[in-house]
Amino acid sequence: MHRRSFLRIAPAIALLSGCGKSPGKIRLALNWKPDPQFGGFYAAPYQAHGLDVEILPGGAGTPTIQMVGAGSAKFGVVSADEVAVARSQGNDVVALFAVFQNNPQGIMVHASRRLASLADLLKAGGTLALQRGLPYARLLEKQYGFDKVKIVPSPAGDISAFLADKNFAQQCFIMSEPLTARHQGADVQVFPVSDAGYNPYTTVLATSGESLRQNADRAKAMVAAVREGWRAYLDDPNPTNQRMNQLNPSMAPEVFAEVAEAQKPFIETDETRRNGLGSMSGERWKTLIVQLSELGDITRVPAPGDCYRAL
Amino acid sequence: MKRLRSVIPALIPLLVVTAAAELAVRNGLVKSYLVPAPSSVLRAMIDSRSELFGALLTTSASALVGFLLSTVAGIAIAVFLSSSRAIQRAFYPYAVFFQTVPIIAIAPLLVIWFGYGTRTVVASALIVSIFPVIANTLSGILSTEPALRDLFRLYRASTLVTLFKLRFPAALPQILTGLRVAAGLAVIGAIVGEFIGGQGLGSVVDVARTQQRVDKVFAAVLLASVLGLALFGLINLVSYVTLRRWHASEQ
Amino acid sequence: MDLEIAAGEFIAILGPSGCGKSTLLRMIARLAEPSGGRITIQPEEQFQTSFVFQDAHLLPWRTVLDNAALPLELMGVKQQARYATARTALQQVSLYEAEERYPAQLSGGMRMRASLARALVTKPRLLLLDEPFAALDEITRFRLDTQLRELWRTRGITVVFVTHSISEAAFLANRAVVLTKRGGGIKLDRRLDLPLERNDDLRMDPRLGHEMKVLLSAMEEE
Repeated sequence: MHRRSFLRIAPAIALLSGCGKSPGKIRLALNWKPDPQFGGFYAAPYQAHGLDVEILPGGAGTPTIQMVGAGSAKFGVVSADEVAVARSQGNDVVALFAVFQNNPQGIMVHASRRLASLADLLKAGGTLALQRGLPYARLLEKQYGFDKVKIVPSPAGDISAFLADKNFAQQCFIMSEPLTARHQGADVQVFPVSDAGYNPYTTVLATSGESLRQNADRAKAMVAAVREGWRAYLDDPNPTNQRMNQLNPSMAPEVFAEVAEAQKPFIETDETRRNGLGSMSGERWKTLIVQLSELGDITRVPAPGDCYRAL
Repeated sequence: MKRLRSVIPALIPLLVVTAAAELAVRNGLVKSYLVPAPSSVLRAMIDSRSELFGALLTTSASALVGFLLSTVAGIAIAVFLSSSRAIQRAFYPYAVFFQTVPIIAIAPLLVIWFGYGTRTVVASALIVSIFPVIANTLSGILSTEPALRDLFRLYRASTLVTLFKLRFPAALPQILTGLRVAAGLAVIGAIVGEFIGGQGLGSVVDVARTQQRVDKVFAAVLLASVLGLALFGLINLVSYVTLRRWHASEQ
Repeated sequence: MDLEIAAGEFIAILGPSGCGKSTLLRMIARLAEPSGGRITIQPEEQFQTSFVFQDAHLLPWRTVLDNAALPLELMGVKQQARYATARTALQQVSLYEAEERYPAQLSGGMRMRASLARALVTKPRLLLLDEPFAALDEITRFRLDTQLRELWRTRGITVVFVTHSISEAAFLANRAVVLTKRGGGIKLDRRLDLPLERNDDLRMDPRLGHEMKVLLSAMEEE
């Protein structure tokens, strides 16, 4: 009865759980349950590129960045800010493919409150549910202050508290929770976090620097397969949606289809039409790194060029 | 002094493991983002001391209140269950429910009923820790020696008198055993409640985790362990004071 | 079985294991119900019965004094009065000095004496004892036998004493009843031909040996 470990100390456990699985299979660890944000990963023609890939669905708190760094998954889905912070701590993780070119995080509120912006919300009071540790949250706190709102933990996709209370606002994926809420009859307004100037790449495919050095060809093949998968998913999401819906029955099929449609502008932009799906720019990484170091999240500043690789 | 000396053997493995971990991380054998070096955990504790100790106080208060409610309610429920076989058969299975319900799953429900904040945390601590109190108290009450019960019957003592003057004192060692288990569970329950309800050490762990501050996570977890140990020690003290003159366990 | 016990008698009940002597005692104490027949005590009202078990069965969390005073406490007697009575009883069993001690600190013999004191505080008219000294060493047993006999003589109680020891039965009682092996029957019901005052010298007396022989043969036949 002397030491207690908690569920959240997952890194060490994830490392251990990596052993003993089928050899030869390349593991791709997702950071949430199968839903449209991973559509292209499920649609990707891995076999055609000579890859035997096993997709590991995740959930709240899946430590994908540690899993990739430790090698218990060869590839994982993370966000760009996670990569920068990890690198500054000596975790050699490299981004390869950015699904969401723009940050799909947002704060959703009840439209009846007649708020005009995030600044308004933070002055208006009520309850705001978000993950306080995330950089965007601390950016908001720094810019506007949290003294007028009651901050509570994000209910991770659960909108029951939002539906029950008009003065409840919560963190969301712009094309996900608000749609579900509208289906339940709520009149929802969404403020993108990128409005506050915070716009990292998200749903980013990453691997460890060591993997990359050991087998650059495999990484190349993976990126190519994923790119094709996202093309296929953007063109016709239905078959993949059905597959994912079976793995994750918590969202209704109609909502699956709606979300897949609503997320398109985040994935396919002018840049991607020029440079290919999933491409990233050094400028964006530089901006992100500056923001993070101003927030105090990174002490050893990584070089932007180290954070990602164009394959 | 004897008690202090008995603590030393327990400290040795702790010192060895801490030293080994420090060396392993410094030499790169273990990645620091997976397992933080003990020195970095210590630094995190010092750097964030006001935040951590404030959180510790919050969690302690919630865990303590949850534990006390658990004690009172648990003993009361056990007394109720002990009154007849029929009542036991009808209601005991539901008490077992407290043991098996996964608190992580029902914590969001608790938030809906009790709102964000201390009430949810206390409720969580109560739910997680009440069963051992019920089980051990009931067992203690029911296992009173038949001869002593005969003695009370001989002098025509009422059920209530027998309960308070015989069964209860006789059950005390077992009740205390149940409380020892419940103390640690109350801390766990409070922390889980805080993940969802947002305050105290649970919140520190949750936020630090999203910031990839493993050192801070470990620092908070360490403090939570200390809290659990402190509660456990408190029960042991109560046990010593109440049992020392007559029970084998404290001799 | 038909058994009549007169007031003031000291009866020893003997019999092989399993013959039901403990059960009989518990039925007299109204702790158990007879399956057939009746047990009547005359006069019924205000008839105090006390029971001494094979094990002292003291409440370990109470002092000797509180243990001795327990029956009075259960009957609602106020503390000052019951402590006074308890102290007297403890004095009679030579436990006066130990009143503040806890059962865990007492020897087996002392615990039994405390149990005896507890049985006496209600000033019982009927005292039932179920092999009370069986677990004690011989010297202590002899001492307690003598003490019990003295208490009986001075207080005029009726004593029913269950034992498996023939020598103890013969030493203590005026009347010995031997039960049949199967239970439910009386093998022997005998008035013992021994003096009223008994002390350790009696243990060497041939008269005691004679009575023991009678009892032994009754127990052996079957």
